[in-house]
Amino acid sequence: MSEGRCCLKDNLIKVVNKAQELGAEYAEIRAQELFRTTLTIEEGRVEAARQGIENGAAIRVIVNGAWGFASVGSFDIKSLSDAVSSACKMAKTASSKLRNPIRLAKTKAVEDKVLTKPRKDPSKIPVEDKINLTLAINKMILGYDKSIKTCTIDYLDMTGRNYFINNEGTCIEQDKLYIWSRITATAKKGEIFSFSREEIGSTSGYEIFDVETPEIVGERLAKRAVEQLKAKPPKGGTFPAVLGPNVVGVFVHEAFGHLAEADLTLSGSILLGKIGKKVASDITTVYDDGTIKGAFGSFKYDDEGIPTQKTLLVNRGVVVGLMHSRETAHKFNVQPTGNMRAEDFRVEPIIRMRNTFMEPKDHSFEELVEDIKFGYYLKSFRGGQANLDGTFQVGIQEAYEIVNGELGEAIRNASISGNTLETLLKVDAVGKDFELWPGRCGKGQTAFVCDGGPHIRVREVLVGGSA
Amino acid sequence: MVALKKDEIQSLVEGAVEFALKAGADEAEAFAYQGLIANVIIERGQISRSSRIVDRGIGVRTILDKAVGFAYTNVLESREAIEKTVQNALKTAKASKPDKDWRGLTSKKPQVSVGNIYDQRITELQSEDLVNLASAMLDAAEQTDKRVFPIEGGVGTSELVTAIANSNGVACFDQGTVIECSLATVGQEGGDVTPVCFEFNTERSYKIDPEWVGREAARLAASALKAKKIETKSARVVFTQVAFHELLYYTLVNAVKADYVQRGQSALKGKIGEKVASEIVTVYDDGLLSGGLRTWKFDGEGVPQQKTLVIDRGVLRSFIYDNYTAKKEGRESTGNAFRAGYLSTPYVDATNFHFMPGKRSPEELINGIADGLLVYSLQGAHSSNPASGEFSVVATPAWKIKNGEIVHAVRGAMLAGNVFELLKSVSDLANNERKIGQLVAPWVLVESVKTIGK
Repeated sequence: MSEGRCCLKDNLIKVVNKAQELGAEYAEIRAQELFRTTLTIEEGRVEAARQGIENGAAIRVIVNGAWGFASVGSFDIKSLSDAVSSACKMAKTASSKLRNPIRLAKTKAVEDKVLTKPRKDPSKIPVEDKINLTLAINKMILGYDKSIKTCTIDYLDMTGRNYFINNEGTCIEQDKLYIWSRITATAKKGEIFSFSREEIGSTSGYEIFDVETPEIVGERLAKRAVEQLKAKPPKGGTFPAVLGPNVVGVFVHEAFGHLAEADLTLSGSILLGKIGKKVASDITTVYDDGTIKGAFGSFKYDDEGIPTQKTLLVNRGVVVGLMHSRETAHKFNVQPTGNMRAEDFRVEPIIRMRNTFMEPKDHSFEELVEDIKFGYYLKSFRGGQANLDGTFQVGIQEAYEIVNGELGEAIRNASISGNTLETLLKVDAVGKDFELWPGRCGKGQTAFVCDGGPHIRVREVLVGGSA
Repeated sequence: MVALKKDEIQSLVEGAVEFALKAGADEAEAFAYQGLIANVIIERGQISRSSRIVDRGIGVRTILDKAVGFAYTNVLESREAIEKTVQNALKTAKASKPDKDWRGLTSKKPQVSVGNIYDQRITELQSEDLVNLASAMLDAAEQTDKRVFPIEGGVGTSELVTAIANSNGVACFDQGTVIECSLATVGQEGGDVTPVCFEFNTERSYKIDPEWVGREAARLAASALKAKKIETKSARVVFTQVAFHELLYYTLVNAVKADYVQRGQSALKGKIGEKVASEIVTVYDDGLLSGGLRTWKFDGEGVPQQKTLVIDRGVLRSFIYDNYTAKKEGRESTGNAFRAGYLSTPYVDATNFHFMPGKRSPEELINGIADGLLVYSLQGAHSSNPASGEFSVVATPAWKIKNGEIVHAVRGAMLAGNVFELLKSVSDLANNERKIGQLVAPWVLVESVKTIGK
């Protein structure tokens, strides 16, 4: 294997050199060796156990100020050479209508080798064990209550190695390890359906299942599905609300985070022109942090070879930073932040979040709730989405009424909406607890992320109820 | 990487099946995919990138004592790599559990012919041609309205090839092309920023209209400026195809899939022959639709695609099946097995989910509304309750209709309800059908949708 790798690296360097000969101002190659196992379990049936290999390389160049990109599912030198010629040709063609040439922020060259050291390496665990584990979660959930009708579990692990080499002297070998599972269940009573989901994700190793055991995950999910059957729809309208860490996470990610991805900011998100300005209440501080050990959104170097970091986005209500690529960093005259990620070798890196969260402060949960006469406690989300104008929507899978300072009846199928900045200004108390939840973010490509924060209170938010 | 030829791909899948049987599989199936994709990309008002992706691989399904195993690889250069993949598939089958409902792979059926899914001209386009198309689209947008900024978009072509073989003698090969142009825009005036508006044109043949896409994307963004809030009430709502697709994708489309029905996850379970939509609603799952975005000769298991009547004048007539779910009920697959490339085992999905159009033009539809909303897109449809059909989403961009005319854009209105109730309240369909993803539909008018404003 080592000989093969050595040879692969030599070939990658040759390709970068060839790009320069073909006139590239900038050239990089990213090669990936990836091994993936996935399972789908439905009501005790193993729908499929799948394993596979995906090897390939992505070449990105700048010629005459325009980007060219080519990817190919092969490492042989002929295919790589064809791809680099193709990338340079694509860039030249694209440059014919260019108005503002692409420039990259200058960065230090890095040479490094990053090895993962999992306690339990998923590639060494037999498929049988993974099947038995997911079947155990399945059984736990289906056996929890007879109203639970279905349970689907998707399991994924990926292990492999990435190589990143550019024409500025950066040369990185980086091991990759991801473990992920999504568990969904439906419960039914009469004509009422409820739906509940959970995700597990880690970059540390298979040992995540020693913490997120079938019992713990199973009960969290099954209990919610059953309780939701008794829940009633919310009243539609504007109400005070307490958001749980899981909902704060998706709010910070969807409603704020995307607007602070510099490519989207430049596309005209409402944060354009707001750097250095107050957009949230004084008690709001938000980070995007790629350095949290084992977290689902963590890694050492991004797919431009930039070290990851803890990036402060909002400091006590003021926007102080964005998430940058080398290209956007050059535009803003700042340093890149290590947020460029590509889902795999097939596609180009784009600016993505890592672990995004609101910093905790001083309130207990009781203190957050006690002054609310009537409002909602939004505990867990189903999905969320935001628009560049700051309109956000977060669908809620678990919520309760708050009546006279105390939690009341369960609510189903609520969602909240509003304008991000207006809502951030209405955050009037921030809790002292903290949770981080794994998830997947879609922006054309899928990225593994975490998001979270403490419980917070929002003076008012629009709650959309069912009919 | 040189593209594989028809006979090379066919011998690849047939060789894998043969080897799997020799290695001890009870049954075996191989699926190969090759995609050649070229894109010219617009970012922030200019053409700044161009890309080319070559992706291909093979996925092998093996069955051992009713347990299913699957493995794939994109390393196709060596025979050893393919054989190793077959061995891996057998290994995962051994590790798996027997499935008592397994009744075998698909058997050989006569092939069907389909129209307008491959156009040689698309495969011959050069990147210069794509740049010219993108440029025409961009120019059209800029000339339409100066307050509009094209944020992203582009022109892309795909040339897709699939081949399947199995141990029952199924052996099929198909190829298709797709060309697409799209543009996302925002309108900006003073401090006013619109939500993202977009237009697109996707076809299987080389007949796209980039200028129209550019003009429309710009016109939408300009008319989304100066949005106002609306009152909370029950309203008549016209859904465009984009919004309707978002609404149905997570709800109705899932509810007619046989696996959802069999697992009790569908609100339509047990409702065959019952009225589930207003009587003007007729829906086919039409895998043979000429030029359809999801039209192919055969599905992900080698079953010929077909046209299935799903809802006939409001009455539910059929669900859609793959081989596994069909055999479980002792019936025939409706050709609805899908694959997400070579990495995926087959799963049930719609082909072209075709809502039959009505007679009135979209203008006539609007003209008949005294008070209502025109909704172009939805935010948060993916957070709908997939089992019950309940949804709570933001309509954006959307416009207020008053006395038969569009009067102003609407900001932040939420729509809430249940998709299955909504289908019963469809009161008209326009005649402007178009293709988007798996939906083929016109604009749809729905009575009394709960809209939550201020």
